[in-house]
Amino acid sequence: MDDITPDQTLDCRGLSCPMPMLKVKKTLNAMQAGQVLQMMGTDPGTKNDIESGVKKVGSELLGFTDEDGYTSYFIRKG
Amino acid sequence: MDPNLKEFMTVLKDGYHRIFIQEWPTMIGGALIGIMSVITFTWARPWGVVGGLRVWGDWIFYSLGLYVSKPGAFLIDSNSVITLGLIWGALAASLAAGQFAFRVPPPLEFAKALVGGTLLGVGSALAGGCNVGGFYSSISALSLSGFAMMVGLLGGAYAGLKYLYWEMEHLPTGKAPAPPKKRPFIEKLKPFLGWALLLGGVAAFQAYQFEGYVIEGGVLLCGMAFGFILTRSRFCFARAFREPFMTGEAKVTQVVIISLMISVLGFLVLKWTGLRSETSYVTPNFGLGGLLGGFIFGFGMLMTGGCGSGTAWRACEGQVKLIVALALFALTNSLTKAGINASVTLKTLVGYTVYLPDYLGYGWTLGCIFLTLLLWYALVTWNERTGKLVVDI
Repeated sequence: MDDITPDQTLDCRGLSCPMPMLKVKKTLNAMQAGQVLQMMGTDPGTKNDIESGVKKVGSELLGFTDEDGYTSYFIRKG
Repeated sequence: MDPNLKEFMTVLKDGYHRIFIQEWPTMIGGALIGIMSVITFTWARPWGVVGGLRVWGDWIFYSLGLYVSKPGAFLIDSNSVITLGLIWGALAASLAAGQFAFRVPPPLEFAKALVGGTLLGVGSALAGGCNVGGFYSSISALSLSGFAMMVGLLGGAYAGLKYLYWEMEHLPTGKAPAPPKKRPFIEKLKPFLGWALLLGGVAAFQAYQFEGYVIEGGVLLCGMAFGFILTRSRFCFARAFREPFMTGEAKVTQVVIISLMISVLGFLVLKWTGLRSETSYVTPNFGLGGLLGGFIFGFGMLMTGGCGSGTAWRACEGQVKLIVALALFALTNSLTKAGINASVTLKTLVGYTVYLPDYLGYGWTLGCIFLTLLLWYALVTWNERTGKLVVDI
């Protein structure tokens, strides 16, 4: 995941379900197809929900990395 | 080492990982909750969450001199014990998985915890229970009030989602304090604490049995099982009501429906055979109480992000927002319930007692409940394909 340069970042640290998913959905709405969004989150539920969640809006989860104290998710807008 | 033995050790290790670390499939969680619901009713009483929170709230107001009558004993009252068990089991599960950590929310989320927790408390007092006692166990108990609350919950979830969309456009979230760095020593300690809690639960059961309270001890274990299952499968009733409107996803709703069917069938057998009281968990909340209470609770659910059981188990993960919401939930439920009990007018407004078999007989009751649930199942499945009920941002 280290070689991905995100076009936009979204800080959802401290937010709990469903806020991260809603914010991702809203941010993706305003992005161009092919652009990559990096979301930083701390809700443990996100890891299991995000893949099907972004697929529902036609985007794709490229992967995630565990940082110190939070997780970064990389999503390509479809 | 013998290769066969080595292989067996690998199987054990994988098994441990699957049970205690990895998230369980939602369907497993739903089925187990349905089975536990029936086991708990067979053992002593239906599953509930907010009843226990209310006893704790009652104690606070009683010790402040606000209430006259003494609330049920913390370690004996079955409402209190079953919710104590839930928190105990949830804490054990999140520690054993190494998941527990304090997560501090940004300022707006704090405010939503205060308002949302209050709505959960008021709504559940009106509806005669939270999503568990007022909806899940109530429908299982063949009470029509559970369906009144279900309609209210759907409306409240829809309105709450609309509010969240509005909030994202108009209110600043603020910044959460940076999460603390992980300390390896504490991370290593967590699974041991989780295990200590699990074994402590077994010891507590022995203590109850020794003191002649075997029923209460069993209720504690049932509560622990609910807490453990909910946490391991990250089971969220709020999603069952919210997701069809938010993303169109139907899975959690479908699982809740199947879980309910298991529970309804078990309760029906226990009541029809006379093994359990017919009036158990049939509350006078069919009417305005169930509908309005469900609506208020549903809206609160979207603000806090969790229902009654969800708020409780996620508070046990160290999510500070849910801990605050849980406290408000307990306090406001106690106050609202006391207010309703003190007024004859309010009591009549809340609604009627409708035990479905009194009107339909047991066979038709089962048929009608299953038909309604299957209709709901079909509706969310259709919506998943067409997106007709999804609210766009």
